[in-house]
Parts: sequence; structure tokens; C-alpha cells
Amino acid sequence: MTLGRFLLRRALFALLLTFVASSAALLLTLLSPGDFAADGTFGDPELMAARRTQLGLDRPVAAQYADWVSRAVRLDFGQSLLYSRPVAGLLGERALNTAVLAAAALGVATVLGIPLGIYTGTRQRGAGVRVVRTLSVVMLSMPPLIASLVMVLFAARTGWFPVGGMMSAGASEMSWAGWMADVAHHIPLPALALALPLAATLERLQGQAMSDAIRQPFVRAAEARGLSSDQAMLRHGWRVSLGAVLGLYGLMIGSLFSGSFIVEVVTAWPGLGRLMYDALRARDLYLVAGCAAAGAFCLAVGTFLADVLLAVADPRAHMEARS
Amino acid sequence: MNRHSRALLTILIVAAILIPYWLLNRDRTPPPSALLPAAAPVPTRGGSAVASTRTDPRSFNRLVHGQIATEIVSMLTLGKLVRIDRVTQQLEPWLAERWEASPDNQIFTLRLRDGLRWSDGVPFTSADVLFTLDAVYDPRTQSSLASALKPGGQPLARSAPDARTVVVTFPGVFAPGIRILDNLPIFPKHKLEAALAAGEFAKAWTADTPPSELVSMGPFMLTQYAPAQRMVFDRNPHYWRRDEREVQLPYLDRLTIELVPDQEAEVVRLQSGRTDFMQHGLRPSDLATLRPLELQGRLQIEELGVSPNADSFVFNLRPERWAKDPRGAWFNRKEFRQALSHAIDREAFSDAVFLGTAVPIHGPITPGNKDWFWASVPRYEFSREKARALLAGLGLANRDQDEWLEDERGNEARFTALVFRGNAVLERSAAVIRDDLRQLGVAVDIVPLEPNSILQRIVGGDFDAAFVQFFASDTDPANSKDFWLSSGGVHLWNIGQKAPATDWERQIDELMIRQSATIDMDERRRLFNEVQRIFAENLPILYFAAPRVYIAASARLINLYPALTPPEIIWSADTLAIRDGGTSR
Amino acid sequence: MTRRVALLLAALGIIAVAAPWLAPYSPETQYRRFLYAPPMRPHVIDAGGWRTPFVYAIEMTDQLSQRYAEDRDRPRPLPWFDSDAVDPVFLLGADSYGRDLLSRLLHGARLSLSLSLVAALGALLMGAAIGGVAGYRGGWVDEAAMRSVDFVVVLPVIYVALVLRALLPLALAPPTVFVMMAGIFALVGWPFVARGVRGIVAAEREREYVVAARSLGAGTGRIVARHLLPACAGYLLVQFTLLLPAFILGEATLSYVGLGFPEHVASWGTMLIEAANPNAMQRFPWTLAPAVAIFLVVLVANVVLQSDKIGSNLIRRA
Repeated sequence: MTLGRFLLRRALFALLLTFVASSAALLLTLLSPGDFAADGTFGDPELMAARRTQLGLDRPVAAQYADWVSRAVRLDFGQSLLYSRPVAGLLGERALNTAVLAAAALGVATVLGIPLGIYTGTRQRGAGVRVVRTLSVVMLSMPPLIASLVMVLFAARTGWFPVGGMMSAGASEMSWAGWMADVAHHIPLPALALALPLAATLERLQGQAMSDAIRQPFVRAAEARGLSSDQAMLRHGWRVSLGAVLGLYGLMIGSLFSGSFIVEVVTAWPGLGRLMYDALRARDLYLVAGCAAAGAFCLAVGTFLADVLLAVADPRAHMEARS
Repeated sequence: MNRHSRALLTILIVAAILIPYWLLNRDRTPPPSALLPAAAPVPTRGGSAVASTRTDPRSFNRLVHGQIATEIVSMLTLGKLVRIDRVTQQLEPWLAERWEASPDNQIFTLRLRDGLRWSDGVPFTSADVLFTLDAVYDPRTQSSLASALKPGGQPLARSAPDARTVVVTFPGVFAPGIRILDNLPIFPKHKLEAALAAGEFAKAWTADTPPSELVSMGPFMLTQYAPAQRMVFDRNPHYWRRDEREVQLPYLDRLTIELVPDQEAEVVRLQSGRTDFMQHGLRPSDLATLRPLELQGRLQIEELGVSPNADSFVFNLRPERWAKDPRGAWFNRKEFRQALSHAIDREAFSDAVFLGTAVPIHGPITPGNKDWFWASVPRYEFSREKARALLAGLGLANRDQDEWLEDERGNEARFTALVFRGNAVLERSAAVIRDDLRQLGVAVDIVPLEPNSILQRIVGGDFDAAFVQFFASDTDPANSKDFWLSSGGVHLWNIGQKAPATDWERQIDELMIRQSATIDMDERRRLFNEVQRIFAENLPILYFAAPRVYIAASARLINLYPALTPPEIIWSADTLAIRDGGTSR
Repeated sequence: MTRRVALLLAALGIIAVAAPWLAPYSPETQYRRFLYAPPMRPHVIDAGGWRTPFVYAIEMTDQLSQRYAEDRDRPRPLPWFDSDAVDPVFLLGADSYGRDLLSRLLHGARLSLSLSLVAALGALLMGAAIGGVAGYRGGWVDEAAMRSVDFVVVLPVIYVALVLRALLPLALAPPTVFVMMAGIFALVGWPFVARGVRGIVAAEREREYVVAARSLGAGTGRIVARHLLPACAGYLLVQFTLLLPAFILGEATLSYVGLGFPEHVASWGTMLIEAANPNAMQRFPWTLAPAVAIFLVVLVANVVLQSDKIGSNLIRRA
């Protein structure tokens, strides 16, 4: 399989996934009991029925689905019933917030995990290595649900960080720098809650890959050629270990999206996960479908990017990948 | 793993447990702040306040949607002809400066204030009032206010002899009179005329209408709306109201409402000083959390008295629901509901749910509703024996070895109760009730559900029982006829009946109609007490306790005029002010 | 590895099975006079010298802020040796309804652990069966199975679980919730197992001994059962150790967001709902006990995994 064909196949898969996931979400929501016609107040049944007609909720499931599909292919995901706004706009805002959180978490995980992994992978023994390894087992055991609860407790107790949310009041009128600073003040706790187990995973994998790599003959050879062991490791060992680590990134994006759901719920981060949660609870079906589509799309793109990275970093990979 | 790392791991685990404890036990009490000025400060203009609410407005159109965020937008940006002062419950002049009633109390002539202007400078006239009433009564508007504004099921007749005079004519004698106009915010004809003419009023001023297209008659104008984040309201330069020193209101330059989806997060923001107040009273558990801040002088906490509203445990009494369900044989009997009422220890309930900050009640009218509370309403004292005897009379007894009762045909005494999800007090109440009834042998499955779904199920009759929060808009029962009349849209136990399903509902219908057509207050009270007696005998809804209302606001907020019903503080937003004109913050 | 996993399982199993006998009180009884009662510290020494372990009874001192004080004049035996059911002894404190946290934690362990055990076994069975067939047969079966694996693996698990749960009726009896959640978890968990099993089976199938067995006329079923599945045993064990904590968390997450067990049923997830309130968390930190329990179980599982090379190799695949 050539690289091009491989990537094309993956891209098509990503699109298919997005479509199927959002359709499934829409259909499941359509089929499940309860709909949106109530609006937070009591009203007489006739008013409710009229409202349902107006929203088109009284049509057969097949008709509603067909209608949705025909608009979805034109990237029109309908109107959110909950927010009375186009779903696409809402998705954009919220997906961006989730992306900010996920990117920050990924960044933190990388900055923590990779160097520590290189350290433990090359040193193998020593007190420092033991500390890092033990810490990483502990971090690995702090899933986002627990970690975010601990972070909220930490914020509430110390007052060093805001307890929830993404921005303070009035942040939207601030200058760019002020806005960034404000978000930067809110982001550390949710990002850490997400990043800790990932950092641990990265450290473990990088360590493993590194210790495998430095046993490879050509690294040894480089060392024999007179390169110092550190240089040899960085130049050759790290490159070799890269393939394994990059492969993980695609999967990490998956766990970031699942993990960010609960972090967003616990820390009130206005992201996609929170939006989907609210949409499901309110039975806002177009929004549910839209969220599922956006979530699946981000995931598919993540996996796709990881495939590309992997293919570039280790040309052998795509030949046998997807085995 | 070797010995060293095992030791290290142990240390880390211990640390992981101890560090949170250190965090928990650190003494965070800051030194007491400077003493607050003793005399009530004089409110001045300037400054901004930040409040929070839990939901996004689904629409800015109060005629169409009635949810709390929409109501708040309407309170801040629109005006009514007359207003019920939510503290004194008295009617007061608002956009109309005075009114006269005809001798038969059916025709009211209201005189508008001089020089009223919308925030875009367009004069406010009687045409706006007629327009708004037309919009409410237009069936295409699907207005949630329509039924409240139809005393006796008929629209008000209205006319405007001149630009400053409105005449409304009631279809018959209606005791509350123009109190019902407190429901009606006036909308701008010059902005929405086209929409109404096109039959599109229901789609006008939805939540994605740019704030710049809205005009305001209230103290503030909506200038910015960031969904799921905040609404920003700025001073309306054309607002008509002035204080006694002739200072133009509102005092605040800006009022921001943060959208915080969760009750806990709202309290946390209030605690940290990020917000100044909320749209609902404190829960008992919040009191203990916030008291220390009050002592530090950062917050003010005020007890307002007993709430006129109490949470309602509604039974579904719709005959169709139980026609095919074998449980209907006992569920539909008043003895069953009376037994459940006997089985609840209301004192213990108010201790467990409200930590003692509530008074036990036995009907929908609480001591907080001073005009209409009836102290001798029939009571069901706590007695499991009486409850068991009543249930035994219905054939409910424990016929097998489990902890639940069964009827003669072996059906378990079991029903589901829906409860508003995310409402901590209601969820707590439900858990306590469930436990009390379990000891009686009656199984209640608590199902927390989104308020929307619950309302929909109640309207559709698709539920067994529901534990809901429901606020009457006015203390006068004649203004809550949607609740009392069997045809009403809020007649929760059997909504919108064509003809009363039971004899006692027919009696209540008749008494309520007579009551609202009577002017003499003592006679009205006598009739309404009779309604309360019938209600207490048949118990379509159980009430357990009416909480005392506490509100909290940051100490920099002054000139509060809080009401007993939510939104307690923001209902009087125009008089809110910041200490020292907001030079702080 | 095997021994450690067995040990882990045995320990969890004992806690789960013995919960009703270990728990001093019913997990659902509300002691209304002891809302948020603090943990009572066991003492072994008093003015008169050494004693068998005992606690001091507590009295409410402030109803509104839910404060309690020890009554030094009223020593009480530990709950297991105490016959007084009216004034219970709370070793781990009480929750907001005055229910004994220790009893709830133990009963919760039983529910949460057995749920994730059942779900993990289900996922292993499904995964082994599908992966085994795909690896053994190859061809279009393999292709179809692996494409569906790709598909499920990339779905955001929590959303799938949310939507599936939202589909089901509202009031479900706890046993039904149990079966349903186990089913959902097995459905989202099997592909991870199937992918690895398929790889191992596909490789093993070409090995001499399998080829020999086949040429000797051994049936497919026999080859799979006797030769191929045993080759996967180590892998399955590791997957099991990975899935178990993941499902414990899954239960906690679903119950936390209100789609799992009803509130009165004691599970680690339902207990966390109480703890999630930042203010209650600060004032009554003992309500975080289930979070600590979850952390410890996940930690133990990770330590078991880490103790073996297979474990760290597998992180890559998980």
C-alpha cells in the first residue's frame, strides 16, 4: 500500500465514522422517550402540542432523520432547541474550548512525560528513576474523575485558582493579553487533572521505547564510533523510540475526549463534553447529534494525524499498520 | 518492584492522603476586616454588580417563554403598567402613574406617566400596551401568559382613548382586578409590529436576536449575550424612575449575569467574590458555608421569613392513567394519600432537609402568605399506626416476606416519583420521603429527571407522582386559578380537564369562581378556607415544610429590597447600588 | 504476574463477598440525628489506662452547621461489638443523610467491584471469541471484525454509554441497572481485547505445533481451545487487570452524572455524588472516602501491571 492510498483510506474512514456516530446519536435520541416541547414552565396540553408541531417533533422518526441528513451534508446541523441558536455555531465555540483544554493537557503531558521517560529509559536505575517510576504509577492511578475532584478541593481550599469555569466576568472586554492571562489562570487545574495520567503513560512508554532503542546495534555502533553516550542516545535512540510514542498520541486524543467529559462536568469548563451532557439531559436532539458528530470528527482527525505522524516518523509502519 | 520503591510507594500513598488533610485543615480565617460604616449608606450612581443564574435564556421574549432567565431579562429590560411590590404584596403604580376603577369594578382606566421613552428614544404610548395585549391574545403567539391574562377564560377588552390613557374592561367582576397586569411586560410596537402582523411574533426576540435589536423600557438594556457565559446589562439612559432625591435610576452602571449551570458552582463564585448575588435563596447547607464570610464582613446574609412557596409532592390523579393499571384501585383513593401524609414526620423532615430552618405545613398556603394562610387547615399528624390502618382499609398489607405491602391481587405498593434533577433540596427531600415511606412498607422509586422532562410528563399525565418546585406568581389565589381550576394549565394532578373529573374538584372550581368574583375580603377568605379544607381532605398534593428564606449578597451591595420569592434581589434591580458608588472594584 | 493478579482478585473478592458481614450497619438506614457526623476516632487508652478499643459517643452541638462534639463521659464499644442501633458508631463518619459511610463503602465495594468483574469478564469473553475467530479464519471475517474494532475503539466511550443509558427506562431496579451497565461496559470494552487476541492467534496459527495438530486432523474447535486460546492467557490476564479499574471508573462516572444506580443504593459512584460539592468536600472531607478507595484499587491494579514486563508493553496497546 502506498502512503497516499493509506492516508486516503484513513481519511475516508474518519468521514464515515463522523457520519455514523452522529446519525446513531440522533436516532437514539429520537427513539428515546421524552422530547423538548416543555420549556421550563407549565402550560396547557394544547400549547405544548402546538409547540411540538412548530418544532417538528411530531413527525415520524424516519422523516425527521431524513430531514436532518439532507441538511447535515450541507454542514447545517439545525437549530439547538435549548439555546435557540444554530448548532454549528455552538459546536464551534465549545469545541474550541475543549480543544484549548485538550491541547493544554497534551502539552503538559508531553512536557512532563517525554523528558522523564527519556530519563528513566536511559538511566534504568538509581534513586531518581525510582522516584519518577513510583510517581508515575501514582499518577496513572489518578483518573480524571478523581483528579478533578482533588483539584476542585485544592482550589477551594487554597484559593490560588478559580474553582471552575474558563473565564471571569468581563473577560470578553479585556485586551487579548488580559484575556489570555485570565484563561491561563483558569486552565491549570482542569488541564492537570486531564494531563497527569497521560503524562504517566507517556513516561512509561517513552522509558520503555528508549531502553529498547539504546540496546539496538546501531546506537551501540554510534557509541563505538566515539559519540558520547548521551549524544548517541539523543540522536539515534530518541528517533527510534519516536515511532512507538507517536502511535500513542492518536490514542491519547481519544482518551482526552472521554476524560475531558468528566473534567468539564466537574470543573464547569464550557466545552463539548459539558454541552453534550446538557444537550442529552434536555433532549435537545440536534445538539446531541451535532456534539456526537463533532466529537467523532475530532477523534477521527486525531487518529488520522497520529497515523500521518507515524507514517512519516517510521515509514515501515503504514505498510503493516492496521494489521 | 524492589524493596526501596515499595517503601517509596508507601510514603507516596501516605502523602497522597495527608496532603489533602493538610489542605483541609489549614486555617484560612483572614484577619477581621475593617468595621463597616454603621449608618445605612446613601446609594449613589455608579459601579457595576455581577450576579449569576443557572440557565441561559431560551428566548428574550417573555410573552412566549416563561423560564427564569427569560423572566430576569424581562424584569431588567421591560416595564409593566402596574407592579406588585414583592415585599409588601401591594399593587403599586409603575408605567401607569394612577388608575381608576368603575363602580362595578370591571372597567379600569390607567393613566401612563408623562415623557416615557424606549431606550432608543421612541416615545412609549398606549399603542404599545394595546399591541402587547394583542400579541398575547393572538393564538399564533402561543403565549405562556395568555391564560393568566384571561380572567374567567375571556380576554380583557381594551382601548386607548389617547396616547397616555389605556382602558381595560374585565369580562366580569374579578377580585384581584388589575393585579393581573403585573404579569404583563409591555413590548415595543415599533420594533415588533411587523412580526405580529406576519404571525411570527413567537419567533421574534429569540435568544439569537442580536442585543442591539432589542429596546428597553426597564432600568437596563441587554448589551451583550455570550451563550453559556454571561449576559451584560447596561444602564438604560431613558429609564423613567427617580429616587426621592430625584436621582435618575438605576444606580448601577452595569449589571452582569454570569451563567453558571450548577448550584454548587454558583455558591463557590459568591464565596470567592466573583459574583455579588444569586437568583435564589440560600440552601440550609450554604448557610454554614457562608456564615464565616459574613463574620469577615465580605457577605451580608439576611433572613426574610417563611417562604410562601413549598415543594409539592404531586400525585397523578388522571383517571386514564389508572384505568388499566391495577394499582389505581388504591392509588386513586384519598385514603392512600392521607395514609402517606400521616406517615411523614414533618418536624423530622424539616430537620433532615432544611436543618431546622423550615416550618411544617399541611397545605399549599404557607404562613409566608400572610393574607391567605389558614392556621386551622386540617392536619395529618405523624402516626404510622393511623397510616397503616388507612392502608389496611384499602387492602394493603404485607402478604409475603419482603418489606413491602401488597394489595389483594399481589401488586406491590410501589410507585415512582419524579424529582427535579440538580435541585439539591428537592433531591434530599425525595430521599427522606422515600425512607419514611419505606418504613411504612410503601416503595417509592425516586427518578431524578431534568425539569423539562418532568413538566412534559406532568402535562402529558405520564407519571405516578412528582416532587416539584412551583412558584405562584402572586399570593392572591384568584391569580392562581390555573392551579385551582380543573381546566387550568397548572392543575398539576390532572391538567386541563374539559369537565371536572371528580366531585371535589367541581366544588373547588365553583368556590374559586365565586371567590374571584367577590370583592369583600372576609367573604373571599371564608370561601378560600373552604377550598383549603376540601384540598386537605383529598390531598392531590402533599406539602411537608416551608423553608425560611435566606439571601446572601456581597457586602459591597447596598440598598437591597429583597422579596420572599425568587429572584429575591434582582426583582428590584433599579434600586440596587454599590457602596461608595462603586469606587471599590 | 499470575500470582499477583490472583492475589488482587482474591482480596477484592473477599471484600465484596464479605461486605454484608463486615459492614456494621445497613447501608441505607438514615440516622437523621447524625447528618454528616464526623468519623469517631477509636481510642485504646483512657484515664484508667489501657482498654479494648472504644470510641466516645458524639452529640450535635450546632444543627445548622452540623457540628458534633465528643462526649467524654460516654465511651462506646466499636460498632461490631455494639448492640445499640439507635445511636450508631461511625468509624468513617456519616454522609448527608446520616448513613454510615463505612457500611456504604463496603457495600459499595461489593457492587462496584462485582459490576466491573462481570463487565470485564463479559468483555474478555466477547473479545476473545471475536478476536479468536478473526485471527483463525482470516479473510473477510478478519477484515470485518477488525474494521468494527477500529470503529468502536475510536468512539468516545463515555458518550456511547451516556446515550445508551438515556435510551433505557427511567426507574430501573438496581439489579437491572447492574446488568445494563455491565452490558454497556462489555460492549465498549471488547474491541481492546479482540485486537490483541486476533494478533496472537494469527501468529500462533502458523506455528509448527498448530500446523502439526491440524495435519493430524484436529478439529477447529479443538485447536482453538487447546492451542490458541492458552497462548492468549497471559494477554487476557493483563487486559483483565486493565479493564477492571477502567470499569470501576465507568460505574463511578455514570452514577456520578445520574445515569447509574439510584442514589440510595450504595456504590462508589453514587457515594461520589455527595462528595462532589466543593463546600461539603471541605467541611466533611470524609465523604471523599470512595475517591480514595477508587484510587487505591486503580493503584494496586497498576502496581500489579507494572511489576511485569507484559504490563508496560501493553500500555502501548491499551
